[in-house]
Amino acid sequence: MKKFLKVAGLLIAGTLFASTSFAQSTKYKCMLQMTSYKGEKAYVVISLIKPNGTYEKTLAVLGDDKQWYNTLKEWYKFQTKTKEKVAAVTGASIGGGDRAIRMLDIDASKINAGYKLRFESAVEEQKYFTSEVEIPLTTAGLAEKADGKDYIRTVKIIKAL
Amino acid sequence: MTLSIWRYAHLALAIISSFFLFILAATGVILSVDAVTEKYPNYQVENFDTINLAQALPALRKVYPEIIELRVDHNKFVRIDAQDIDGNSVKGYIDPLTGKLLGPEIIKSPFIQWTTALHRSLFLKETGRVMMGVASFILCLISISGVVLIAKRQQGIRNFFVKINRDFFAQYFHVVAGRLLLIPTLLLAVTGTYLVLMHVDVFDLESKELVIANDATEESIAIAEFKIFQETKLSDVEKIEFPFMEDDPEEFFRLTLKTRDLTVHQLTGAIVAEERLAKAVMLEKLTLDLHTGRSNILLAIILGFASLNILFFIYSGFVITWKRSRTKIRNKHKAQHAEVILLVGSENGSTLFFANCVHKQLLAHGISSYITQMNQFSAFPKAQKMLVFTSTFGLGTAPSNADKFHDLLAKHPANQPIEYAVVGFGSKSYADYCSFAFQVNSLFAAQSWATEFIPVHTVNDKSVDEFTQWIHQWSEKSLIPLSTAAASYQAKLPPLHTFKVLEKTATSADNTTFKIVLESTSKKKFQSGDLLAIYPANDFKERLYSIGANDGKIQLMVKLYTDGLGSSFLYKLQPNDCIKARILVNKDFHMPQAAAQVAMIANGTGIAPFLGMIASNKSQTAIRLFAGFRYNNSLIKEYGAFAASARQQGKLESLELAFSREENPQYVMDLIAANERYFIDLLSNQGVIMVCGSLLMLRDVEKALNRLTEQHLGRPLSYYSERQQLLTDCY
Repeated sequence: MKKFLKVAGLLIAGTLFASTSFAQSTKYKCMLQMTSYKGEKAYVVISLIKPNGTYEKTLAVLGDDKQWYNTLKEWYKFQTKTKEKVAAVTGASIGGGDRAIRMLDIDASKINAGYKLRFESAVEEQKYFTSEVEIPLTTAGLAEKADGKDYIRTVKIIKAL
Repeated sequence: MTLSIWRYAHLALAIISSFFLFILAATGVILSVDAVTEKYPNYQVENFDTINLAQALPALRKVYPEIIELRVDHNKFVRIDAQDIDGNSVKGYIDPLTGKLLGPEIIKSPFIQWTTALHRSLFLKETGRVMMGVASFILCLISISGVVLIAKRQQGIRNFFVKINRDFFAQYFHVVAGRLLLIPTLLLAVTGTYLVLMHVDVFDLESKELVIANDATEESIAIAEFKIFQETKLSDVEKIEFPFMEDDPEEFFRLTLKTRDLTVHQLTGAIVAEERLAKAVMLEKLTLDLHTGRSNILLAIILGFASLNILFFIYSGFVITWKRSRTKIRNKHKAQHAEVILLVGSENGSTLFFANCVHKQLLAHGISSYITQMNQFSAFPKAQKMLVFTSTFGLGTAPSNADKFHDLLAKHPANQPIEYAVVGFGSKSYADYCSFAFQVNSLFAAQSWATEFIPVHTVNDKSVDEFTQWIHQWSEKSLIPLSTAAASYQAKLPPLHTFKVLEKTATSADNTTFKIVLESTSKKKFQSGDLLAIYPANDFKERLYSIGANDGKIQLMVKLYTDGLGSSFLYKLQPNDCIKARILVNKDFHMPQAAAQVAMIANGTGIAPFLGMIASNKSQTAIRLFAGFRYNNSLIKEYGAFAASARQQGKLESLELAFSREENPQYVMDLIAANERYFIDLLSNQGVIMVCGSLLMLRDVEKALNRLTEQHLGRPLSYYSERQQLLTDCY
C-alpha cells in the first residue's frame, strides 16, 4: 500500500513536471584513490554544487555511521536543513591507501552549465576539508584526473557503459 | 585476610564499572541476537568452498558488464556492487556462479546501528571508546579476581568444579554462573579491551608490508586463464575491486584476501604486487570474530548468554553485598564487662543474622551480651557463657572471619570457668556438613576452663525450625527466656499493627495478675499460641506475650511486676488506648489438628493461650487442663467458672489445679504423678502434651514426664517430642 502510494505520487509528480524539466540522467563511474594517511577511515561526501556555490544534491556518501556526519560541517548544515534522503547513495567509509568506486547519477542538463562536483572529507580527530577536491562539471573537467589536498590522492571519472 | 583483599577488589571494581558494564552487557545481548539472526536468510550457495575466481568472475562479468566490487562476508555470502545489462545498479547478494540475485543488500537497522554505537563508544566517540575499553579491562580484572575467589572458596584450583555450597539463590548462581561462563566472559573482556587498544592506535603498527612488486610484461589472456584466479578460492576472499577502466593496463584487479592483498594485471593475470597483512591486523580480525561471534553462530549464542549473564552478575553481586552488610552489629557493653559472649564465624552474613537475633534478645532482657567475630577472640574477663555460631566455608574449613580462631583461643585462656555451646550452620548436601563447628567444639573441650553447656547443634540450610530447637534447649538449661517462635528469626519481621485496648482488669491485694483484651484494628489473623511482641520503650526492647484468642480478640494474662518493663507498660493502658505491636506466628505451639487427646500444662500466666484454645475447641478434642498457681484467689475462681462452662459445652474434659502457697502445697508435677495412667495412654495414643509457663516449671515437667515414659513406655521423652507430641512455649 505504502509503495503503491509512493509510486502513484511519483507518477503524478512526474506528469506535472514532465513538460518543464524532462531530466535525463547519466551514470558516471567515479574512483577515489586515498593517500596512505594514518588514522581512522575517512568520511567523504560527493555533492553537486550550483553555479552560485551552494549545494544542489548529494551524489554519494562514503561513510554509514550517522554519528560522524556532523564532522562534515558544511554538508551537514545542508543535510539538516533539507533532510535529503541519502540512504540510497550511502556506503562504507574509506581508509588510508584504499580505493573506492562509486556510481554517480548526474542530470545531463547540469553538464557544461556552471555546476561543480565537490569532494568534502573528514577524518575522526583529524582534519576536515570543506572541499578537498573540486571538479568543474564540464566535458573537459570530467576527463581530467583531479588531485586532492591530503586524504584523497586522485579522483578519476568516466562515463559508465 | 587475603580472601578479603580479593573480595574487596572484586567488589570495588564491580562498583566502579557496573554502570558501563551494564550498558556493555545489555547492548551486547542485543548485538549477539543480531549476529545470530543476520545469518538468516541464508545466502550461502552450495559447494561455496570449492568455487575459485576463474569460475566465478567470467560468469559474473557476463551478467554484469560493469562490476565495481565483489565482497565475501563472514557469513560466506557473496555481495556484488555492479550494473546489469540494462544499466541498473545492483547491490545485493548473488550466486557467484550464475550471478542470480538472491537478496538485497542488508543494511543494519537504525536500532542496531544505534546499539552498536552505544556499545562501542556510548555516543561519546573517542572518549567513549576509551571509557568502554577501561570498563572492559576492569571486567578482565573482575573475572580474574572472581576466579581467585572461587578457588579460595573451593580450597584450591583442584576443586574448582566441585559442588558449591548453596547459601541463597543469588550467591549460589553467582558462583555457578561464574564458573560456567568464566571463559566466554574473560574472552569478551580481553578481546573487547584489545579492540579498543587497537582502535586508539596504541601499538602504532604498520598494517601491511610489501612482499613483491613485479611489472613483468606478458601476453594478454582471458581472465578464466589467470593462474592466480584459478588458484584462489572464493572462500579466501574478502573483497575484489574490479579495474576502473577495462583494457587499461594501468588499472588492476585488487584482491583483498584473508591474509594478503594482491594487485593483479587485468590483461595478463600477472601479480603486480603482493602485500601481506601484518600479524597485528590479522589478530585484530580474529579478535573481532571472537568478540562478536560473527563467524560462528554457536560462539555468537554463547557470547550472548555470557552478556546476559553479566547483567545477572551485576544483579546477584549487589544482592550478595547487600545481604552481607545488612546485619548491623551493635554492642552496648564492652567486651571486658560482658557475661555472655557471642562468637560468630560467618561468610555471607546469614549466620551473623541468627547470632544477632539472639544478641538483641539477650540485651533486651538486660543481660550484658557481647557479639563479635571469631577472629576478634580475646580475653573476656567477665564472661560466663560463650555461644559460638559458625558456618563452614568451602570444603570443611573456617569461614574467613574465623580462620585465626584456633590460635587466638590458645593465646587467651580464661581465668574463670566458662560454659560454651556451639551451633553449626551448613548444608547437608555437603560432605563436610558443619565440620568447622565440630572442630570448634573440640577446641573448646580441650581447654581446662571450658565446659560444654549443651552439645553441638547443627542447622541445615538455615532452617529456622532447627535453630529454634537449639533455642529451646539452651533457654531451658540457662533459664534465660529466648523467643522460640520461628518468626523471631526470619529476616523479614511481620509488620507492626495497631491494637486497641478493649478491656483491662485491675490487680488486687491477693492477685497480681491482670487480663488485658486487645483488638487488631487491621483485622490481622492469629491463633491462640501465637505471640504478641510489644515495644514498651519504643526501641529494640521487645516483650513477648502468649496470645489467647477469644472471639477474634487478643486476650493476654500478665503478671504485674513493679519494675517489669512490659507488664507495667500494659498495666498503664486504659480502654481505647492504642499500641503498636506485631503478631509473631508460632506454628509450633498451635492447637494440634490431628490429635484426639490433648493435655495442657501451665503455671501462672502460661494459662493464657490454653484459655483461648479451649474456648475455640469446636471439634471437641478431649482436652484436660493442668494448671499450677501460688494462691487460690479470685482469679482462679474466674478460671474455674470458665472451665465449668467449657465443660458443659464439651470443650473441656477436666481442669485440675495445684497451689504451691496454700495448705498442702502442690505443683503441676504432682498432678502429673497423680494422673500417670492418663499421660501414658495419651502418649501411646498419639496424644499431645502442651506446656506453657516458666522455664523452671518446664524443666521439672520434662523430668517428671521423662521418668514416666522411660519406666512405662521404654522410651525417653525426647522420642515423643521429636514426634511433635510435646509442644512447649516457656519463658
